[in-house]
Amino acid sequence: MSEPLITAKHLSVRAGAMHILNDVSLAIHAREIVTLIGPNGSGKTTLLKALLGLTPCRGEIVRRAGLKIGYVPQQFAPDPSLPITVERFLRLFATPQESAAALGRVGANETRGRQMSALSGGELARVLLARAVAGHPGLLVLDEPLAGVDVVGEAAFYHMIAELRDELGCGILLVSHDLHVVMGKADRVICLNHHVCCEGDAHDVVRDPAFQELFGARGELALYPHHHDHAHTLSGEAIHVDR
Amino acid sequence: MLIDDFLWRAALGAGLLAAACGPIGCFVLWRRLAYVGESVAHIGLLGAAVGLLIGINVVIGTAALAIVAALLMARAPDRAIPAGTYVGIIGHIGLALGFVVLATMETVRADLLGYLFGDVLALTATDLVAIAAVSLFVLAATALLWRPLLRAAAGGPIAAAEGKNGTLVQTAFLVLIALLVAFGLKVVGALLIVALLIIPPAAARPFARTPEAMAVLAALAGALAAPLGLVAAYWADAPAGPCIVLAAGAIFAFSAAAARIARVA
Repeated sequence: MSEPLITAKHLSVRAGAMHILNDVSLAIHAREIVTLIGPNGSGKTTLLKALLGLTPCRGEIVRRAGLKIGYVPQQFAPDPSLPITVERFLRLFATPQESAAALGRVGANETRGRQMSALSGGELARVLLARAVAGHPGLLVLDEPLAGVDVVGEAAFYHMIAELRDELGCGILLVSHDLHVVMGKADRVICLNHHVCCEGDAHDVVRDPAFQELFGARGELALYPHHHDHAHTLSGEAIHVDR
Repeated sequence: MLIDDFLWRAALGAGLLAAACGPIGCFVLWRRLAYVGESVAHIGLLGAAVGLLIGINVVIGTAALAIVAALLMARAPDRAIPAGTYVGIIGHIGLALGFVVLATMETVRADLLGYLFGDVLALTATDLVAIAAVSLFVLAATALLWRPLLRAAAGGPIAAAEGKNGTLVQTAFLVLIALLVAFGLKVVGALLIVALLIIPPAAARPFARTPEAMAVLAALAGALAAPLGLVAAYWADAPAGPCIVLAAGAIFAFSAAAARIARVA
């Protein structure tokens, strides 16, 4: 396999006497979807922050030279005191052409002139994704991109992420607790509980005793076969497509 | 002449300073940093006291300590004590210590209220030139740094994660606020300067659809509050600095009421 986009070796983060992360190592390659799962408080967000250089940590992080990162945080929106349209928000980070193309790609064209503070959860998720991919990143980092989005939109959203991976040729690191849909799309799953409990192909991870201990019976639901025969508009209406 | 020179100087100085506070105050609002601005201003008072004590210029002392405080607060440790509390502790220690130091100096004891609430009617021609120069400098710097400042304000964790949150720009932002605090000391004092940073932008918000419109409206609201406040102070024989803040408050109330009527209609 080619040189990884980002490699973390023996990362440790401590808060006082407590280990938030203990000797975590991982690598993400181009064209690979890596899903990070783990219970609440298992250090998922801390690991992302360490990888992004937002929190100090011990260990080594190597980025491929010139790596461009696109980051989608959890349900982030500018403060309501800031009047700004979706279009303007995107253009703070990318050119007008890139911004328009990205909005169209995620199916959020009609939000263009709306105020950021007036978007629904599903619209915001798409706009943040558009912003992250507008600049053609080499690595896309998504931290629970669908927190607060209804179940109907989820499957379509993750399907789009997989398509974007193919179009952009980027690596994707995804943090999620939506076990069932996410793991169906992931190439590799890393199960975190302060340290890497288990790691590998989604089907193997589900059978791993460490995974079953963490997620119990819920894990059994994780890989139901998912057949998607229709798309959704932003308002949730189904559009049937022929396959 | 019915209206004396000192009133013109006060109106011009306060108007320019308040206009400069408007746009940079928008970022204080968007980033929810009002309490940081307040603590920086409180420490500015300590700077003024130290400046007087060791015999350097009061404004230089204020600006220096305000800048140091702003830079320290930007690194507030967010562990067991929340960052906001930490900032508040430092700020109030600065305010209390500054007041104690000022009170020990016999020569300034009579002017204590001026440091807290400003003494804009006592502006000299030199003061006016300095305030005007700093106000224009802050306005120009805000315009120059607009895009990176706006990206940091709108993008928050995104800009930081993607390495687009220039530390230099963030430092410049804090230095600009410290400058306004230092030169605003004579205008509205250490206790009220933050009012000029947050009230005009808040009054501008309901009528703005873009960040730029909000900044321009905030500057205008600030510039309008100064003469309004001075006229009120003149007629009511009330302290000028607080009257300017009250005028800004009245503009805010008017704006909020107008926005509500517009929504209902």
